[in-house]
Amino acid sequence: MLQLLLSTPVVLSLLALAFRSKAFNKATLAFFAVFYFFCCLFLVVHPVPASSYFAVDGLNSIFLLLQSVVFLAALLYSIAFLTESGLTEEWQAYYTALMLLFAFCLTGLTLTTHLGLFWVFLEATTLVTTPFIFAEKKRTSLEAAWKYIFICSLGITFAFIGIILLSLGAKSVESLSFPDLYRQATEINSFWLSMAFVFLLVGFGTKAGLAPLHSWLPDAHSEAPPPVSALLSGALLNGALLGILRMLELMNRAGLGQYPRLLLICMGLMSLVICSVYTLKAVNYKRMLAYSSVEHIGIATLAFGVGGAAVLPGLLHLVGHSLAKASLFLSSGNIHHRYKTRDIAGVTGVLSSDPGTGRLWIAGFLMLSAFPPSPLFYSEFLLLKEMLVQRLYIPALMTALLLTLILLSMGSVVFRMAFGGNSSAKAEHSGYLFLIPQIILLAAAAAAGFIPSEFYAFLSRGVFL
Amino acid sequence: MEYALIVLFGLTILYISATSRLEVYINCLFIQGMLLFLLILLTMHDADIPVLLLLILETLGLKAILVPWFLRYIIRSNHIYREAEASLPHFYSVVLTTMIFIFSFFVAWWSTRLPDTPETVYFGVSIAVVLNGLLIILTRHKIITHVMGFMIVENGTFLLSLAVAREMPLIVNLGILLDIFVAVFLLGIMVTRIRSTFEELDIDMLTTLKD
Repeated sequence: MLQLLLSTPVVLSLLALAFRSKAFNKATLAFFAVFYFFCCLFLVVHPVPASSYFAVDGLNSIFLLLQSVVFLAALLYSIAFLTESGLTEEWQAYYTALMLLFAFCLTGLTLTTHLGLFWVFLEATTLVTTPFIFAEKKRTSLEAAWKYIFICSLGITFAFIGIILLSLGAKSVESLSFPDLYRQATEINSFWLSMAFVFLLVGFGTKAGLAPLHSWLPDAHSEAPPPVSALLSGALLNGALLGILRMLELMNRAGLGQYPRLLLICMGLMSLVICSVYTLKAVNYKRMLAYSSVEHIGIATLAFGVGGAAVLPGLLHLVGHSLAKASLFLSSGNIHHRYKTRDIAGVTGVLSSDPGTGRLWIAGFLMLSAFPPSPLFYSEFLLLKEMLVQRLYIPALMTALLLTLILLSMGSVVFRMAFGGNSSAKAEHSGYLFLIPQIILLAAAAAAGFIPSEFYAFLSRGVFL
Repeated sequence: MEYALIVLFGLTILYISATSRLEVYINCLFIQGMLLFLLILLTMHDADIPVLLLLILETLGLKAILVPWFLRYIIRSNHIYREAEASLPHFYSVVLTTMIFIFSFFVAWWSTRLPDTPETVYFGVSIAVVLNGLLIILTRHKIITHVMGFMIVENGTFLLSLAVAREMPLIVNLGILLDIFVAVFLLGIMVTRIRSTFEELDIDMLTTLKD
């Protein structure tokens, strides 16, 4: 089953490159979206025995299920996007093939249990997504793509130095696969392990867009096509964070849990500060969404840093953020398609000019800003509660204030774009394929919020502290 | 012999810091690749055949031949030969590089008190090479020079991984090799694209996207 899940996208992408037919591309995308979702669902429900490099465990099954939903929505949206975008036949084939390769890399990243292979897949995700960003060949897209690939590759090199330092300290450990490392965690030299953690945090943190290593993120996420932005924010950031989580667990098992958690709390709070400063003067709505990804990844990181009872809310937060943000990025694609601008000032009255998109835009925003039944409501509430229990009063106060500030400034932008404008203009509806993916994502998010107890049981299988 | 090669490796960095001709950078990358190849032959002769073949492919094939050839092709086809106006005069560049060497060897010497430390020469030179690669990226303007800085950082980490001498499984090594190759290839393509769009290859041009 694992082999099937990993080999199908590669085979399909080669076929897409060989055929180069528009109909085949769309059929492939539709087939793979459904196939991938059910395959991942099956793997989560019926765990298969681990192979030597890949396994499904409590932690990565959450990420796997989450990214399968995001992929389902993004690939369905891609079909509509390819129809409307006017890309040449050749580029459509490249788009399909790269999308499938991206799915392969992301699946490998989530499922692998070997640190070295995790590194390989993380770098590979950068490489397969870069062409999406510079596909438009505009000055801005080239600039964004350059920053993306250069900063991420350099960051990933730091992660590699971390792996080397870890293998220095772990000479007695059988291999660099996580189960082996966990089993013999106490035998690893604590100095080299601590050094390795810092380097790995810088490397994976760059990919996860944690402040102060986030500089590439707003550029890349805002220049990519909408389905790719949705996947970058909704799936790839989580994948990088999975590496940090696995390393954090290793640190805990080695009895060195204190200082990594302090680092994570600092980075999380810094991400919040940076996002709140930016959203105050946002001019580009896609960049605003990208900055909000920095914020939410920061909140999740903060939760993992606080530890204890806050880890489960952290995982829940990742789930809620991915679904809501992916839906917002897809809706922003509809808005861009209609208004041909990414400037906030150029967009008013989405609700009257395109009611479906307008409603989804507002619904996505409410879901993202933690209005019940959003899972983010529970996660933020539980996180604040746990921070108070642990007497982290100042970080708790900062978090609450910054969250309110971001809600205010993002809300004013979102509502200004949705309402107002010329209500006499004739309403034009987007096609169904431009709306259904967002509905799927928001329904999944609401489901996670409505049935907390079952969902908590699933999440708690991944909690490690 | 081993140490002589590593010292030579360090010297190439010193040479790079004192020059602004891009051809020289590429020659130094070629020399670094060859030195790493010789190091592999000297130290890894008892490794398994597939591992050895892969390492030879990585050092001789990728680092010594393919990447320098590709970079030279890009330089010639885009007519860029000089790293015009380095933001740092050569004299200070050399001084900084020297200071990085002193710092790196101090760290390497200090860490000998820890268990399992790699040999001082290996450790010191590889830290210095990585830091110098970063220095080149920070102080040079041309984006092609940034690609070279990236390769120098990669060479430094490769030297460090040789010092640790812990073998990754073959599949992981293969993946690393592929990743680095594709990264350099993509960066090279983008240099050409940026050249044709911006008509300039200066990093200061890439400042449209900001808040």
